[in-house]
Amino acid sequence: MKKYLIYSSLIMTMLVASSCKEEYTNPSSANLEQATGSVNGLIAVANGIQFRYTVGRASPIYALISANGLTTKELTVLNAGNTDEEFLRLGGSNVQGPNSVLSNLWNQSNLVKANAEIILKNAGNVQELGTRSGLIAYASIFKALALGNLATCWEQAPIEVGENAKFSPRADVLKAAIATLESAATTVSANAPSAYFNSFVVTGIDIPNTIQALIARYAIMAGDNDKALAAAARVDLTRRSAFSFDDISRNPIFDNTFGNRNVTEPVNRTFNLSGDLAVNAADKRIAYYFQPAPVPPATSTLNSGRASFFNANNAQIPVYLPGEMSLILAEANARKGNIDAAITELNKVLTKRTDVWLIGADLPAYAGERTAVAVLTEIYRNRCIELYLSGLKLEDSRRFSRPVAGTTATAERTRNFYPYPLSERDNNKANTPADPAI
Amino acid sequence: MMKIFKNKLRFLAGVVVMLTFSLNVLAQNTVYVIKGKVSDATGGVPGATIKIDGTSFGTITNAEGDYSLNANLAAGSYKITASSIGYANVSQALVLGNQSNITQNITVKDDVMNLDEVVVTGSTLKTSRRELGNAISSVSAEQLQKAGTNNLLGALQGKVPGAQITQNSGDPAGGITIRLRGVKSLQGASDPLYVIDGVILNNNSTNVAQTALSNQVGSAVIGTNRLADINPNDIETINIINGAAAAAQYGSRAANGVVLITTKRGKSGVPKVTFSTSVSSSELRKKVFISTLGKQFGFPALRLHTIGAISSAQIAANPGTTVTGIVRDGTTTNLANNLVDVTRYDYQDNIFRTALGSDNALSISGGTDRTQYYASLSYAKNEGIVKNVDFQRYGLRARIDQRLLSWAKLSIGLSYVNSISNEKANGNVFYSPINSINIGNNIYDITQRDADGNLKAVEPTRVNPLTTIEDMKFSNNVNRTTNDIQLNLTPLKGLSIDWILGIDTYSALGRGLIPVYPYQAVAGLPAERYPSGYSSNVNNVVTQYNSDINIAYEKNLTEDIKMSLSGGYNYQFNRSDFSRANGELLAPGIETVSGAATAVTTGYGIDRYNLGGTFGQATFGFKNLAFITGAIRRDRSSKFSPTETNQTYPKVSASFVPSDLGFWKNGKFNDAFGGLKLRFSWGQAGNLAGIGSFDRFYQFNPTPYLGRITLVPGATFANPNVKPERMTETEGGADFSIMKNRINLTVTAYQQVIKDLVVNRVLASSTGGNSIVNNVGEMTNKGVEIGLNFTPIKTKDFSWDLSVLYNRNRNKITKLGSPTVAIANSAGAPIFLIEGQPASVFYGFPYAKNPDGSYLLTPQNLPQRERGTQTNITDFTILRDDKGQPSFAAGSAFVRTIIGDANPDWTGSLINTLTYKKASFRFMLDAVQGNQVFNADKRTRNNVGIGDIAQKEMTGELPRGYVFSLANVEEYRVDNGSFVKLREIGLTYQLPNIMKGMSNFSVSLSGRNLFSWDKYNGYDPETNAGGNSDLLRGVDFGNVPIPRSYQLQLTASF
Repeated sequence: MKKYLIYSSLIMTMLVASSCKEEYTNPSSANLEQATGSVNGLIAVANGIQFRYTVGRASPIYALISANGLTTKELTVLNAGNTDEEFLRLGGSNVQGPNSVLSNLWNQSNLVKANAEIILKNAGNVQELGTRSGLIAYASIFKALALGNLATCWEQAPIEVGENAKFSPRADVLKAAIATLESAATTVSANAPSAYFNSFVVTGIDIPNTIQALIARYAIMAGDNDKALAAAARVDLTRRSAFSFDDISRNPIFDNTFGNRNVTEPVNRTFNLSGDLAVNAADKRIAYYFQPAPVPPATSTLNSGRASFFNANNAQIPVYLPGEMSLILAEANARKGNIDAAITELNKVLTKRTDVWLIGADLPAYAGERTAVAVLTEIYRNRCIELYLSGLKLEDSRRFSRPVAGTTATAERTRNFYPYPLSERDNNKANTPADPAI
Repeated sequence: MMKIFKNKLRFLAGVVVMLTFSLNVLAQNTVYVIKGKVSDATGGVPGATIKIDGTSFGTITNAEGDYSLNANLAAGSYKITASSIGYANVSQALVLGNQSNITQNITVKDDVMNLDEVVVTGSTLKTSRRELGNAISSVSAEQLQKAGTNNLLGALQGKVPGAQITQNSGDPAGGITIRLRGVKSLQGASDPLYVIDGVILNNNSTNVAQTALSNQVGSAVIGTNRLADINPNDIETINIINGAAAAAQYGSRAANGVVLITTKRGKSGVPKVTFSTSVSSSELRKKVFISTLGKQFGFPALRLHTIGAISSAQIAANPGTTVTGIVRDGTTTNLANNLVDVTRYDYQDNIFRTALGSDNALSISGGTDRTQYYASLSYAKNEGIVKNVDFQRYGLRARIDQRLLSWAKLSIGLSYVNSISNEKANGNVFYSPINSINIGNNIYDITQRDADGNLKAVEPTRVNPLTTIEDMKFSNNVNRTTNDIQLNLTPLKGLSIDWILGIDTYSALGRGLIPVYPYQAVAGLPAERYPSGYSSNVNNVVTQYNSDINIAYEKNLTEDIKMSLSGGYNYQFNRSDFSRANGELLAPGIETVSGAATAVTTGYGIDRYNLGGTFGQATFGFKNLAFITGAIRRDRSSKFSPTETNQTYPKVSASFVPSDLGFWKNGKFNDAFGGLKLRFSWGQAGNLAGIGSFDRFYQFNPTPYLGRITLVPGATFANPNVKPERMTETEGGADFSIMKNRINLTVTAYQQVIKDLVVNRVLASSTGGNSIVNNVGEMTNKGVEIGLNFTPIKTKDFSWDLSVLYNRNRNKITKLGSPTVAIANSAGAPIFLIEGQPASVFYGFPYAKNPDGSYLLTPQNLPQRERGTQTNITDFTILRDDKGQPSFAAGSAFVRTIIGDANPDWTGSLINTLTYKKASFRFMLDAVQGNQVFNADKRTRNNVGIGDIAQKEMTGELPRGYVFSLANVEEYRVDNGSFVKLREIGLTYQLPNIMKGMSNFSVSLSGRNLFSWDKYNGYDPETNAGGNSDLLRGVDFGNVPIPRSYQLQLTASF
């Protein structure tokens, strides 16, 4: 009988000993070493960063254009069931920390910034200098865009990535964005991005021009007129730089809102500008930015915003427009007191018949008062029109000291800055500043 | 993996061969024929189990209570035991000598509190209730078959102490969730472990049919949970172990409780055939209110006429439109206040139907002393009450038990099931049948067609409800086989060695089709409704196997002290391969992805993990009165890092039956209070499957993007240090038998503390991630389970039985790591996990209220949101202005608080059975009380202008702007979810046996969910838009209501 005991214990031991202790990894995802350990891995991550920045309702592009548009009254909400968009439209204290549009803008911008750091940290391992330069430039552009978004919408934001990240005033955030871009510009001028890099990276972004254009944008935001002038002048206005989309990775504005009439729509077909800012009815940019109104009694189910860069799944969204550069040059000159130079640049926009994006106001040259105040108002009007739904208007409205809600009945924006998302406040308690009153 | 697995098989085969060769050792045995009768005070006891202790010889008594048993044993002294449900076990001495024919009659007595009933505690291990330190509840085949449903989990509703069983949807393949003692995990499933004949069953819900909506439903878990593949007709008993403390055998997976399913087996004797057939009919139990008032505000083309702001352009374009300014949240909005004539329709009539079903099962069983078999065939088809929805299942099952040697038995179980469901889009999306009638104005005649017979558009951006019924197709076809091989060895007296190899594998083929909408040009449907059509094809292949070895040894150490030892090893492997292809813009006439012209993407996901553990357990019994058990288990799983994965879980339990003490048995009060058992257990269990297989890694995910290689860095950080959650459960209870066993009461109280709770903790995104899977949480469940069986009358012809269950569970997240975690969903439901609150609660904007609790109305007599300052997550200080209205001064804001809780205060049931001669009548009431439902549909119906409040605004019963002002008050959408349902009602009659040899011929008429007593504003408070999600509970958003159904069933055995 003992035999059985011995045999039985033997089987038992064998079975226990032979048990699998295998480790499994996910063959459908890459780990950090795989993603950053090779040139192609890093390029794939670069594309992944652009994907995060541009695709989907949670993308910073969607959130920035929507939040900005609603706060500055470019957009209205069609169905109040889109609660967070509706809160943004109402503005003031309706806009609170849990707002999902703002949380997406904050979180995804911070993630884009952090993801860009992964490339910047590892680009040094790439031996081929042109590819290394392309990677650094690409990551820098997105890091700068992320920082720029944060500085556009919040008074303070973290520059560094990490636990308990310290917040910096937005002026410093803009400086960091500019510094990142300037460093990238140096890298790119030393070694142009390689053909290899260009053949693997998503098409659409013109690296050298985008770097200068963004330096100009953030410099004018930061009040550094000289830097803005220098950088804007370096941008080749005959080149397009854009975020690309297709039927799978869709234009987020078209896909989520302008493709139908349920979420948001332009308030009216006049850029919602009135009074001293009213748009000239002859301005050809009206036809550019709006779906034509149906002739009554015909009705249309098409969203009036279904035009410009938002009329198809695969419509490109510009990273910057040539008109923005001209208007930056005009504004910087005006602010420096060079009124004539300012008007020259302003006229480039007013009289433009078309450009690489087919935008052209086709209006007469500026004939108003040749004072800084008057010229700046005309520049602002043109920024509102030329750069419609670009996500820049909240910053513009502040910089041009337009009226804010709570101060006047004719308020042009319903907030100055946004409250900090709860996910940040709750989990980075020590550093998250108090919310602005408005 | 497979290699090692093959090696295991080879060893086993070798062992079997070796054991066969050693047969000669036992050749000195004699074949004894043991016969006798088992009887109680009234006569023979049929179906009693006879067993010679310490051997594997046994049999079952026939209809007259007689048995005959051939035993190949050496001469000597043995004990023979008779056991039968409802009777106490009786052991008698059996002396085997020269005489080979032996007669042994046994008299049994009622088993007070079923203490001698042997229950499966896990895998092959069994023990008597007497020895158990924890509650195990059992549900019998009979209870399942009278439920009037062919879904196993549905049939368990109201029958399991400590369980909340919720049917999530009224679709026949809609999914049913079972929670034993509440939610246990925030990251992993809270689904109990299901084991059928030792095979660990996969009960996952994987959405294969409706990939179209997978990116639109938040954290909802869509799809049938695959227990739907089990045919209840094949089940003999179900034992449910609620607590973690119970099952050392399943330690790593037992944290959520264990449901042990035992299927029917053959018994020696002539072949027995059982046939049952039924027809059923289901219908919508209650319609919701849909206005058919021929009016609407503004003008007919005005969408959302109750809440839509009117622009001056609209007034100009629609003469006669007048407006009134409604102040909400400090802002004035112009709403139309003129009424125009419209024709309204109730689309409910177009999508619901009276559904038919049938359920047929045929089984044959029988065998000899050495071989027993059971085989069954079944076919069931149920239509849903939503048109073109159905579920059908056919299957076969076989079990063969073969005695190899006097001390070795082999058992083989095979089953094959094919389940096909034809579905419609789940709630949550706008193109589900219910949502399509809720989320749109009802002023369109949806049955109208154009010259080509195509349906026409309804409200812009909305889907014609008939499109969902007629044109959209979602189907799921599952082929599943669940098999096991078991070897039971009893090489020595008192020693048993069991090995089970179980395999459960299936493939689920999903197809989804949304054809091109013929009316897209007019409707302007958004991308999420796939205006150019959508098709998907999915294959999910799941393989799961488990190998369990259990060794048990029993010995009487002294006259009074019995020792039972057991130990074993379990291994489990799980793999699923999910491949998907989908695309849009379908070529005419093509229903599969082959015809898609754009947005064609494919994906492939593999999930793999394994679990393993060893355990040892010892029980010491004293005079069959008191028992103490200690156990220890060590587990590991591939889901966790090698440094974290090895976990040890101890357990202790004790039971004591004072009523078996001499003074009690002989005491005068024994008649009144005849039985008492006290039990206690303490134990720990882990949740080694409690995180995703790759959750601990930082993952870069590929995505198709403009034809370029793309890896998107994950938003969830790596955490190699995450470890399994650890639950410590303490359970105590008592079982009472009162009034000569007429009243049986069982009371259990428990406390579960789950430490190292895994939370996908929210991170400040400035860290570079949005979340990290981390052991930062802690959760508790405390509760009471009470079961009462009462037989007020029991005579020869008439009996009346009452059975009552009461369960109460309090869940609380005591630590969460971050103050709140939002649960994503598409219903706009503010569902959160909040520290100090149960998982999960509705947390949002409450009404502004007066001190007496009534609504504080605006000067326009409209309800509004509360304002003030938030003092912490859930509390606030109200701020009022000088007019007593909510303050809009600086520092005052809209405040949020807990506005509802999806967890019930208690659940319970009452089963009443009356039997008179051959007829029996029973009903069951099933109650869920004290919970709230987030009724998203209510606001939707009123916003689009077809709901009850919308109609009252049109008739002037409520002031204009009422619906508009409620829109942002989230508390408005929180409804009372309490209900008492007439879950089951049935009448059974035993027909006279029409032919010789017939043992049962009965007909029964039953009803299910016939009535519900509730105050719910929608269809049914028993509903879950979150499907089988553990955390997204109690949300109603376009869900299909649970039907009322009737069934006529005929059963015959011969």
